[in-house]
Amino acid sequence: MELYVTLSIVLPWIVAFVIYLVKNDFVTNVLSLLMLPVLAYFAWEIYFSGNLPMLVDTPHWVDYAITIYDFGLLGYFLYQGIKNKSMLVSALAVLQLVLLIIVILMIEHSNTANIYIDKLTAFMYMIVAIVGVPIAIFATKYMEYDEKGKHSFVAILIWFLGVMNFAVSVNNIEWFFALFETTTLASYVLIRFRMDDQAVKNAILALWMNQIGGVAILFALLTFLKTSGLYHFTDLLNTDSKMLSLTALGFLSLSALVKGAQMPFHKWLLGAMVAPTPVSAILHSATMVKIAPYLLLRISPVIKGTLLAKLLIITTGFVFVAAAVIALTQENFKKILAYSTISLLGLMMLAAVVGTPIAITASLLLILFHAFAKGFLFIEAGVLEKVFHVKYIKQMRRLIERAPLTLMFIFFGFLNMTFVPFGTFIGKWIMIEEASGFLSHGSYVLLILYVGAGSAFLSVLYMKVLGISVRKSHGIERVRALPLPLKFNFVSVWYYGWLLFLTVFIAPFIATQIVPIAQELSGQIPNIHADNLSLVINTSTLYFWQILGALVILSLIHALPFFVHFKNVDTARPYNCGEAFPRHIETYNFVCISKYENYLIAFSIALFVMVLVLGGGLL
Amino acid sequence: MKFETLMLLLTLFAPIIGGFVYGVERIVKARMQSRVGPPLMQPFYDFFKLMDKRPLMVHSLHAVMGIMYFIACWFSLLVLFLGNDLLVAVFFHVIAVLALTIGAFSVRSPYSVIGAMRELMHMISYEPLMVLMVVGFYQVVGSFNLKDILNYDGIPLLQLPVVFMAFVLAIPMMLHKSPFDVAEAHQEIIGGPEIEYSGPFYEAVYTGKWIEYVYVFFFVFLFGGSHYWLGALLVLFVFLFVNALDNATARLDFRKMVKFSWFVLIPVSAFNIIFLALWR
Amino acid sequence: MGIFTKFRKKSPWILHYNTGGCNGCDIEILAALAPKYDIERFGMLNRGNPKQSDILLVTGPVTKRCRDVLRRLYLEMPEPKVVVAMGACAYGGGIFRDFYHVENGVDNIIPVDVWIPGCAPRVEAVIDGMVEAVKIWEKKSKEKEYMRNHSEELLEQLGARNDD
Repeated sequence: MELYVTLSIVLPWIVAFVIYLVKNDFVTNVLSLLMLPVLAYFAWEIYFSGNLPMLVDTPHWVDYAITIYDFGLLGYFLYQGIKNKSMLVSALAVLQLVLLIIVILMIEHSNTANIYIDKLTAFMYMIVAIVGVPIAIFATKYMEYDEKGKHSFVAILIWFLGVMNFAVSVNNIEWFFALFETTTLASYVLIRFRMDDQAVKNAILALWMNQIGGVAILFALLTFLKTSGLYHFTDLLNTDSKMLSLTALGFLSLSALVKGAQMPFHKWLLGAMVAPTPVSAILHSATMVKIAPYLLLRISPVIKGTLLAKLLIITTGFVFVAAAVIALTQENFKKILAYSTISLLGLMMLAAVVGTPIAITASLLLILFHAFAKGFLFIEAGVLEKVFHVKYIKQMRRLIERAPLTLMFIFFGFLNMTFVPFGTFIGKWIMIEEASGFLSHGSYVLLILYVGAGSAFLSVLYMKVLGISVRKSHGIERVRALPLPLKFNFVSVWYYGWLLFLTVFIAPFIATQIVPIAQELSGQIPNIHADNLSLVINTSTLYFWQILGALVILSLIHALPFFVHFKNVDTARPYNCGEAFPRHIETYNFVCISKYENYLIAFSIALFVMVLVLGGGLL
Repeated sequence: MKFETLMLLLTLFAPIIGGFVYGVERIVKARMQSRVGPPLMQPFYDFFKLMDKRPLMVHSLHAVMGIMYFIACWFSLLVLFLGNDLLVAVFFHVIAVLALTIGAFSVRSPYSVIGAMRELMHMISYEPLMVLMVVGFYQVVGSFNLKDILNYDGIPLLQLPVVFMAFVLAIPMMLHKSPFDVAEAHQEIIGGPEIEYSGPFYEAVYTGKWIEYVYVFFFVFLFGGSHYWLGALLVLFVFLFVNALDNATARLDFRKMVKFSWFVLIPVSAFNIIFLALWR
Repeated sequence: MGIFTKFRKKSPWILHYNTGGCNGCDIEILAALAPKYDIERFGMLNRGNPKQSDILLVTGPVTKRCRDVLRRLYLEMPEPKVVVAMGACAYGGGIFRDFYHVENGVDNIIPVDVWIPGCAPRVEAVIDGMVEAVKIWEKKSKEKEYMRNHSEELLEQLGARNDD
């Protein structure tokens, strides 16, 4: 058991190191393929071991090693800041160094174990294994298309998975800071991987923005040390929540918001798209941004119901809607996906902050299904980029004639993001159901409005993008599918199969797998159970015939047009007022919204300050 | 008769009911313009005639989407009647919109594509309002269950008057009636999303529209609670009001529609729900 | 002749196209739609969309600009369909006959089933013509109809090349 935990954390580091050193095609391919069953097996064993939650003690030298590692890391940041002439990076690195020294001077020895494994951790391991590793497999083929440094790239991806596994299993906030900054480092290295000017500029942007999160964690740590002397998650959760300083929790939430790329800090996630596409895939799905809802889920029992929580609801909900609205104006396919990630991260955090057991279930569902769907969509974006040379939605025009199979996968990914029987929808539905129960505060009505409006905007966004790519000339009936590389197809079918499987059995899946996690996190039993294959929440039921019916209709909608052709029906030309030459057709580009973008960002900054000042009680 | 059987029958006969509603609507509209108007069975004559036309399509995808729109509409009605959660029914309706817009986007006719984009604008306008309305029902009745609402002793209308008004003003958006018929503007984009369908495929879309009548007016009926006569009166009143509005107003820009929904209808409904929650 | 054929006469949908006349006929058509005559009581609708129409109501002498447009509109209408030519111009050009830009009537371009005489025809004449058209329409089959004097290749040339 402890062995599995240790291996889950250490093995990716070792494998990454081996790949980096050997730089052999065969070794890279085999090791990355092997990681999938191995990590999944470890996660499976941990998840079903039965003696969760458990604390794992670590030897003392690890403590010292991590402190030394911290200094090394911050020194590296300082060096990068000086090297790239970025005042901001160096200044933040120096600030963190100073704060870290103060923390180390203040910190007292605690007997609480530094590694804490509970069901949430095992759940995150599972996501990393099932969603994260296929991206590394995908990258082994992707990097063969006119890119340099395949082996080091795959090595960094796998190392990143190891870092993520480590980050979700630490209990000590000081360690958490180290791992938080390591994910920052990993994203920095990955974003500037192509090493051109734009990449380095965006990498620096990601670096300083995430360092703000690091500073916030250190402030939180300092406040915790000053007020209660506790610096372990388990200790914090076990004490009376009135004793805890809201300021510290406010700072922790702030770091989560920064990591989760919420509105004023969303630029770094958008900048990540200059890197090779697997980077975006891994940042958006399994790792990095998922730390944000993870952190809020960890502290949700103590911030539930406070003013801080209500302000966080308003902030994240606002981001959920605003990011969806801004996404409508975007041209670049990866940017659209990035905005929708920002938006849905807002929803996940909103659900985590509400903190009732059902809301936590919703948050976990959103984390899982968003990871699958976003990994899937970015994989397809990578295929589009490399095989079909499509980057902008303008170039996606009539994609159905060139890339029917890829378009079908994209269609399915989009359906997963909003439509009825899929996990993300169930998350939203549960949120509205839950929030309707306690509408005593204005922020909860706002919450319902946010969820309703945001999902409407996101549906519009996806339908718009799909609409551009399904446009088809009359006369072209049977389309030729271009053969794709085996690895691309394997990864696509992997995600497709998982999503389909989980959706059909969603009710027992939620009742047996997600509910126990929510129960463990919140300490109460959420009123969700499965009636055979139907899902029952409080008094409402999502019947199995509804799930299946919607699934069949949507499967027909997204797959049927590629296979069914009416043979005996004559075709006519589209109506064009009888003119011979069709007019050039464009869809709305929502330019009228983009002029409000700065107002939206300014408003979100105001909300951020409000969270800190009012919610955290800073003044 | 058992409730489930009744609801199943209602779903099965929904296209026929919707057809009659549409027939009555055409007569009412004609009388308001001091015309005689078509016979009551006119929609069904159209239906049979369309059955007899030679099928023509632009391409298979487009034709399939027309049929899927009809199926999704009917299924969303089934979910509304037989499921026990109104909220799910509201979200099921989005599938129908998806089928319609994907079909409309897939042809290279400018009218069709513009119509599809405007259809999406319609969705932005009425979707959050529907969610708010259902939450309002939850506030009043304490459940999302259809049966509970139909057995509720009080009158939801009295507690949700503003939500009701907002919903009545949103009905033109859902049924594509003037002043909010931008997606289907017959004089401007000749029917929008439905323009390219012909013969039996148009029939599917045409019948889907009838089902939407049943879907929308059933929500109006719910405002009567267990007082079914009140519900029926409300449906009658709203039907006449919407048709009068349709006859009396000109088409607005789609921006005005979105603004009206977002800056007038949704805020007032939200206030109604907040006050309801505070006073309960 | 299926079981639905007898419902045809109950709902003829009209596509109206003006091929360059003086708009006199069009005003008469509007009068037919308006309360006094109200042809909707016969189930007639002005659809403005060839895909869903049964009767093509053409006015005007067919200018050279309109020629191909008229052909395409005719081709886009699904069978069974009827063409009604209305007014003196539609029948041989009227006062525009033998002008340099005129094709001298509708039947040089597409087959015409019913003529409505007059310049401009009275509304009663329009309704009478429509009734005649519906009678002819009831006898038509839904087999594909070919235009006189035009081969399939020509029809292909009329269509647009589909590059977007």
